[in-house]
Amino acid sequence: MISEKLMHTKIITTFHHKEFSTPLIGITGGKGGVGKTTVAVNIACSIAAKGYRVAMVDADVDAPNAAILMGLKLELPETVSSMIPIFDNARCVRCAKCIAVCRRNAILMPIDSIPMLIGECNGCEACTLVCPSEAITKGSKPVGRTWMTTAGNITLYTGELLTGSEESSFVVTALRERAAKDAENFDIIIVDTAPGTHCNVINALRGVDMAYAVTEPTPLGAHDLELIMKAMGIFEIKTRIILNRSDLPGRPVEIHNIASTHHTFVMESIPMHESIEKSYAEGKPVISAFPESPTANIFLKIADSIIKEHIR
Amino acid sequence: MKEIVVVSGKGGVGKSSITASICHMLSQNHKIVMADTDVDAPNLDITTGARLTEEEDIAASEKAYINYDKCTSCFRCIDACRFSSIIKSDMPVIMHYSCEGCGACKIVCPSDAIEIRKTVNGQIKTFIGKNGYIVSGELKMGESSSGHLVDEVKSRARKQALIQHADLLFVDGPPGIGCPVISTLKGSDHVIAVTEPTPAALSDLKRVIDTACHFKPTISIIINKFDMNPAMTAAIKRYASDSRIVILGKIPYDLSIPKAITMTLPVTSAYPYCAASAAIRETAENIESKIILNRSEHEY
Repeated sequence: MISEKLMHTKIITTFHHKEFSTPLIGITGGKGGVGKTTVAVNIACSIAAKGYRVAMVDADVDAPNAAILMGLKLELPETVSSMIPIFDNARCVRCAKCIAVCRRNAILMPIDSIPMLIGECNGCEACTLVCPSEAITKGSKPVGRTWMTTAGNITLYTGELLTGSEESSFVVTALRERAAKDAENFDIIIVDTAPGTHCNVINALRGVDMAYAVTEPTPLGAHDLELIMKAMGIFEIKTRIILNRSDLPGRPVEIHNIASTHHTFVMESIPMHESIEKSYAEGKPVISAFPESPTANIFLKIADSIIKEHIR
Repeated sequence: MKEIVVVSGKGGVGKSSITASICHMLSQNHKIVMADTDVDAPNLDITTGARLTEEEDIAASEKAYINYDKCTSCFRCIDACRFSSIIKSDMPVIMHYSCEGCGACKIVCPSDAIEIRKTVNGQIKTFIGKNGYIVSGELKMGESSSGHLVDEVKSRARKQALIQHADLLFVDGPPGIGCPVISTLKGSDHVIAVTEPTPAALSDLKRVIDTACHFKPTISIIINKFDMNPAMTAAIKRYASDSRIVILGKIPYDLSIPKAITMTLPVTSAYPYCAASAAIRETAENIESKIILNRSEHEY
């Protein structure tokens, strides 16, 4: 019998395996709207401005915003599909095995007809595996799209889940694979995750050398930071904290306490500044819209520390 | 009973703070039960300063388990898994965080070594706040099946609403448009989409409203921090009028809101006379007159 602990070790080893040698870092944070994408885009652009080739992966496929913040028009679309069963009238023997095996209860067999798909199919293909008469062929339904857009030193990989689809995970996986294929062309890859601590956030962080958790000093920021730090702990992801809007009313000391509980530190605090709001509204990174602003300086400083730690 | 769901697409635009304050206002005339379906980062209890009364583990997820006494390491399960959740070691190992529990591996296993079991993937917590009960879900770290957990939260919140004879169920939803959002939207009477005047928030607003339209509720919009960017606020208004969606309220940027969050109080209770509170009061009155009392006007 294999022990729980050994299994966990094997999972963690696989989780940290990366099929390329390019440094990979993640930007995450638990809470929505704390500035993950703003921080990720500005770090990416700061590193690119220093002459490195950067891949930026926007893995928040539910609400992808990196392209808007970078002012990019998306290029090279690819469709992400998931399998759906197509039932063959001539071959179906009406055994109903497909219905029994579908854990999503997505298949229904009307009294005088062959089975049909009525619910949300997640493309697991279990029905095709049990069908005794080869009556199910694999069709496909689009669930999302990915794009690859290059502008100077930066290549943005972004994806979107089609509205009404539930399977964000397929789009995240397709996006990861698309970026991984080109990985050796870059000096660093930066992945920006969705908010939360769910499987799509974890999946986006597979193989990262380090994660940077962006938060704000409010009780909500602290609460959600604690959650993401716990998740990072379980998956043994080395994490640093970036405190955004550090002068918002709140208790920054709590953020520092959470950091030390999880054996890490707040690597940088970013105070509020009009340059962020203005550049955001203009669809430009702060570092190109307001290169002289204090905020741009902070991002360049973070970029320097990332270059030093991961690229060189 | 009316079920009103608050979503936004983009995270951090003020869903929970606004929900808490609106419920604070509406609780003067209504019996309200609140639900928090942002199971990744449930915050409604914090924004209302509510007290935890009950918590329970929930097994709203199914996962595959390998019995290694029977496993012959044929690795057929790895090929069958469409979610890349089984890894090849000296034996197959299931990465439970991404396992969907679909059972494809079990079907192909020649030695009957795989079992699909219900798995605890979260907790449901009940809080009592000044303005009524809050039923809240919390997903376990890195777990999947957040949609099923949201279904559970909603069904318990509806039950709680019946027990409390509530006439309003207010649901604070998760960011995004995927699985947990879809579960949140199911069965709602009205959807309020909170946004702010930035290009990113508007883009996400459109996506979440497209998603909500699949379920045919009535829909309205609240613009938070509307005075931060007049041009973008105008763009949101244009979108709303083109899509025939009512704007229920516009809330100004006001540091009283983050200050109130720090006090774990709705802003309408911490700073009842500030600009944001006045706007929220007006928004709550609009909800009262346009959504609660006069639904027909909103059935487009």
